[in-house]
Amino acid sequence: MAGGDMCVQLTNDDAQISKMSCIERGYFQDNFLHFFVRRRARRSPLINRGYYSRVMALRNLLYQFLGRANMFPGQPLQVLSLGAGYDTTFFQLEAQGLAPARFYEVDLREVTQRKAATIAAVPDLRDRLGASAAVDAEAGIVSSERYSLLPADLREPEALAPALRAAGLDEAAPTFVLAECVLVYLAPEEGAALVRCLGALLRCAAFVLYEQIRPDDAFGQQMVRNLESRGCPLRGLPGTPDLEAQRRRFTDNAWQRAEAADMDIIHRCHLDPIDRQRAERLEIFDEFEEWHLIQAHYCIAVGINDDRGFFQGVSFPKFPQRQLPGRALPNAA
Amino acid sequence: MSDPNRWIEQLKRCEPLAERDVKTLCEKALEILVEESNVQRVDAPVTICGDIHGQFFDLMELFNVGGDCPQTNYLFMGDFVDRGFYSVETFLLLLALKVRYPDRITLIRGNHESRQITQVYGFYDECLRKYGSVNVWRYCTDIFDYLSLSALIDNRIFCVHGGLSPTISSLDQIRTIDRKQEVPHDGAMCDLLWSDPEDIKGWGLSPRGAGYLFGGDVCAHFNQTNRLELVCRAHQLVMEGYKSMFSDQLVTVWSAPNYCYRCGNVAAILELDEHLNKNFKVFEAAPQDVRGVPAKKAAPDYFL
Repeated sequence: MAGGDMCVQLTNDDAQISKMSCIERGYFQDNFLHFFVRRRARRSPLINRGYYSRVMALRNLLYQFLGRANMFPGQPLQVLSLGAGYDTTFFQLEAQGLAPARFYEVDLREVTQRKAATIAAVPDLRDRLGASAAVDAEAGIVSSERYSLLPADLREPEALAPALRAAGLDEAAPTFVLAECVLVYLAPEEGAALVRCLGALLRCAAFVLYEQIRPDDAFGQQMVRNLESRGCPLRGLPGTPDLEAQRRRFTDNAWQRAEAADMDIIHRCHLDPIDRQRAERLEIFDEFEEWHLIQAHYCIAVGINDDRGFFQGVSFPKFPQRQLPGRALPNAA
Repeated sequence: MSDPNRWIEQLKRCEPLAERDVKTLCEKALEILVEESNVQRVDAPVTICGDIHGQFFDLMELFNVGGDCPQTNYLFMGDFVDRGFYSVETFLLLLALKVRYPDRITLIRGNHESRQITQVYGFYDECLRKYGSVNVWRYCTDIFDYLSLSALIDNRIFCVHGGLSPTISSLDQIRTIDRKQEVPHDGAMCDLLWSDPEDIKGWGLSPRGAGYLFGGDVCAHFNQTNRLELVCRAHQLVMEGYKSMFSDQLVTVWSAPNYCYRCGNVAAILELDEHLNKNFKVFEAAPQDVRGVPAKKAAPDYFL
């Protein structure tokens, strides 16, 4: 395996450790992640808050998608998670009775092998997949009634489509594609090819991604250097340096429409303000300038293909912004 | 060689002191700090520095740029510890310089010089890691309680870590605070260490949950009341190292370049000559080959 692949895989471990740090501090719930994460570490409040922001924003979009099923009864929904790592969304949805008809997870074989091995070894996970589940840890493949885990190299999208079809993907079914910090590790043309391949394949789908932007200012340049020295260069970033380029990657590559917003805006305007305020009180927080900087260097971008109005209204949610209940202001001195 | 000279030499090599030396150093420092006023008088010329946050090698770079102490007089406006990898060496070096040259260096308290904050932002963990116990953290945080709250240069320039307080209109009111305690959650002492200037009128709520936001009118009124020409403060990262506000009635000085090894910012110090003429010196992070980021912690955290 190439050294670069190895480092990119390690970003999965790092992300899961950070999510565990959030879970242990009460930012959000996840009853399954601990099965996958051995090492624990306490992350700084800034990192915890940033993962909270990302998880809640992405969950919200996913729940909007699942909620549209009421308007389109009888249509089986699909989720396709690219570079899924140890993400536990399927297990959480299953436990809540919200799992869609089909849930596909794709990652490099070394990752799916470890994930499959954990699923095989942990009854709490395996039992969620039903009696017909087949787990092949050596091949890194899990197949069950609702959930499929399969190895694939996202740099070869020609091979991805047939593999997904073979696993049962229905090109016509409403589909939610998720890619968290995935395309940014691919070369710009590889990322575009993947977006185009799925855009051509799926007629009723939302492609939701979360990743870095703005490599050119001082913070961005340092981010690029730091991640490069960590062995996982942000190869895709020159191709999608800003929100406009993020949107264009979709609309230039077989997606009908697109929107994008940076995480600083999303945190402030598109998260449930009541829960956000709860989360913001969990830890002492004294990293405000850095917080706005780092959040402005991440975005969520959404591409949509919609042949039947399924995704009408699915967007970054708008919450009425309320005044923070807080201390009274002093009278002017 | 006397103890303080030996400590300074050792710390300049970024070697932490033995626990018993830390205890002795803190005892000597206490004798000096306890005599200082809440508004410590400082004579120009002096070089004013903002947050350092345990970035030891960048502090060495600061001394390269600004000159060594005691050849240059220094005023550090707090936040010596937390975030960086070398809070222990950074704070102890500044404290040893204070003991050796008490009239040449002034240290005032930042909001991170607190038991509560250092348990979240790194200094506590660093002490535990480097000494195997929290004794050094205790010695240091006990000293924090004695650090002055502000400084007044030639009666014209008021220096404080954070900013102003709605309960304070005159410097004499600051002088009456009993500062020898953990930073409280509210009140004048808290505000001085936590508040931020903002382009508003009057006072605003701070998103930090402590201190307040204060506008240019508040600052102008404070300066007028106290016959000041400038409020000089730190506390907020400024990408360009320094930032003037309110028609030059306030300046923020930030002295931690590439803050947290992540922000890509430059840093600054403010040199005041004997006539209080201002000269900002901007500097970058110490080069990689001298900074020696611990191998264990390969890189600062991101969302991955």
